[in-house]
Amino acid sequence: MEIIHTENLTKVYKGGLKAVDNLNLSIDEGQIFGLLGPNGAGKTTTIKMLTTQIKPTSGNATVAGINIITESLAVRKVIGVVPQDLTMDEDLRGIENLLMVARFYDIPRGESLRRAKELLDLVDLTEFANKNVGTYSGGMRKRLELVAGLINEPKVLFLDEPTIGLDVQTRTRMWEYIREVKKKLNITIILTSHYLEELDELADTISIMDYGKVKVTGTPESLKSALNGDIIILGINGNEEAEKIKKFPDAISVQLVDEKTVRVKVASVDSELPGFFEFLLANGVKPQTMSVERPSLDQVFMEYTGRRIRDSEGGEDVMKQRINMRRMRA
Amino acid sequence: MSGLMPLFQREIKKWYKDPIFFFVGMLQPLFWIALFGSALDFSKFVPSGQSTFGVSQILDGAPNYITFVIAGVLTTTALFTGIFAGTNIIWDRRLGTLSRFLISPIRRSSIVFTKIFASIVRILVQAVILIAAALIIPNGLVFQNGFNVFDALVVIASITMIAFIFSSIFSLIAIRMTKMNSIFGIINLINLPLMFASYAMFSKSMMASWLGNIAQYNPVSWSAQAIRMVIVNGSLTASQMGTLGLYLLGLFVLTVILTIACIIASEKEIRE
Repeated sequence: MEIIHTENLTKVYKGGLKAVDNLNLSIDEGQIFGLLGPNGAGKTTTIKMLTTQIKPTSGNATVAGINIITESLAVRKVIGVVPQDLTMDEDLRGIENLLMVARFYDIPRGESLRRAKELLDLVDLTEFANKNVGTYSGGMRKRLELVAGLINEPKVLFLDEPTIGLDVQTRTRMWEYIREVKKKLNITIILTSHYLEELDELADTISIMDYGKVKVTGTPESLKSALNGDIIILGINGNEEAEKIKKFPDAISVQLVDEKTVRVKVASVDSELPGFFEFLLANGVKPQTMSVERPSLDQVFMEYTGRRIRDSEGGEDVMKQRINMRRMRA
Repeated sequence: MSGLMPLFQREIKKWYKDPIFFFVGMLQPLFWIALFGSALDFSKFVPSGQSTFGVSQILDGAPNYITFVIAGVLTTTALFTGIFAGTNIIWDRRLGTLSRFLISPIRRSSIVFTKIFASIVRILVQAVILIAAALIIPNGLVFQNGFNVFDALVVIASITMIAFIFSSIFSLIAIRMTKMNSIFGIINLINLPLMFASYAMFSKSMMASWLGNIAQYNPVSWSAQAIRMVIVNGSLTASQMGTLGLYLLGLFVLTVILTIACIIASEKEIRE
C-alpha cells in the first residue's frame, strides 16, 4: 500500500534556485526508502516539504493519506522526524527531552514514560537517561535524536542524513539501530544520505536524485544489475595472454588496461567464473593475480548522472549551491 | 494552545537549573534599587529646612527617590528581562531545538508565547525581591498612604502587561532573526531612548518640556506612572482613578495588539 505520494512537487527558493523540480514519488508502506544524491540534490528540501516544515511552490503530496499543504498539523502527528542537525536541548536530561517531545503529541505521562524508557533501552542509552544531553557524545546524541522521532509511534519515520559527521564505527552502530527499529516497529522509513554504502546496506528501494529530479528508482540490487555485468580483473604476463583472453566466448567485453592488466566483463561472476577458469586452463593462461569488481551504487550513480558522487561533493558550484540553499531556507 | 505547557516548563526548568542565570537575574534588581536608587539624593538639591516638602514636590509626592523610582525600576526590569524572550528564540534557532518544535504537532505561536510567559514569571519574581529590598534598605520605599489589595493588583497588572509588551516586541523582532549580534544592536539602539524618554526615572517636572511631552506617549511611562500612583498616593481620588484607568487601558490595548501580532507572525513567519 502506498504511504507517500507526490505529484509534481516543486520548490523554488527566493533567488530562483529550483531545489526540487516536479518530483513524482510513490513510496510503499513498510520499507526503508532511500533518497540518494549529493549535497544540494534536493533531498533535504524534499524531506522538509513532506514533513511540512516548508511549503511547496507548486505540486502536492500526501503522507499516510494526509495532505501536506492543507492538513500540515495532522501530518506532523503521524510522522517522526530525525533532522540532519541536532535538536535535543542540551541543558535537559535525555529522558526529560523525550518526555517533553512526548507531551507535544499529548501522550499521557505514564505512557510517555513507558515509551521513553523502552526507546532509551533500544538504543542503549538507559544508563545515560538522567544525564544532561550536553554531556553526550556525538553518537549518543544521534541515537537520542533517533528515538525522539519514534516517541509518537509514527507511521513514517524520516531520517535526514542520520549518520552525517559520525566516524565509521559509530555510523555502523547507527545502521544496526536503524535496522533494529525497522525490525521491532515495522514502520516505513524514509532515509536520505549521500553515503552510498549506507543506502546499499539499509534501503529496500532507492531513488537517485540530482538537481532536484529523480533520475532512477529501484532496489539496490536491480539498479546494480541493470549495469549488466561484473568485472574480472586479471594480472597477466603480456599481450599474448591478453589476445587469448579476448577469445573467451562468454565475455561481454575485454579491455586491456595495460600490458599486465585485463578487465573482463561478464554477465555474472557467480555463473561465469567456473567456465572462465576452464577456458584459462585450456588456453594455457596463468594469471598472476585475479580480483572481481561487482557494480557499485557509485557506478549506478555515475551511469545516471554522468559523474561520480564523490566528485560532486567538493565541486565549487555545488558548495555554493549548498550554502545558498541554507541561506534561503533560513 | 497545544505545546504551551511542555515548552513553558522547559523554560522554567532551564531557568532554575542554571544557578548563575538564576542568581544574577535575582541580583540585578537589587543593584538597581541599592545603587541607582541611592545615587540620587534629592534632599541635597533643595534648600535646608524645607527638604521634605521640596523633595516631595519634585518627586510627584514621594517622600524620597527610592519610593519614586521603584515604579520605574520595576518597569525597566521588565524591559531588560523581556529582551531575553527574543534572544532565547534566536538561541533555540542556533542550537537546533527550534527545528524539533517546528516538526512537532504544536502551534507555532506556543513557541513564542512560552518565551513571553517565562519572561513574565521571571520579572514577577524579580519584582517581589526588588520591592522587599526597597523596603529593607535605609531611606527606602515608604508606603506613606498605605498599600492595599487593589494597589497590589494594579502593580501586578502593570508589571505583567509591560513585561508582556516588551517580551512580545523582542520576540517579534527575533522571529526571523538568525544572528545574535543583530538583536543586541537593536536592543542597544532602543533601550536607552525607551528608558529616558519616559517618566520611569524622572518626573515630568524634572524633564525638558519637549522630552516630557514625548514621554507621555511611551508605554514605559504608563506602567511607571500607574505603579507610582498607587505606591505614592495609596487611596486615589476620582480624577486620579481616571488617569490610572487610562494608563492601564493603554497598556491593555497594546497587550491585545501585540498578542494578535505575535499569533499572526509566529504562525506564518517562524522558521528554523
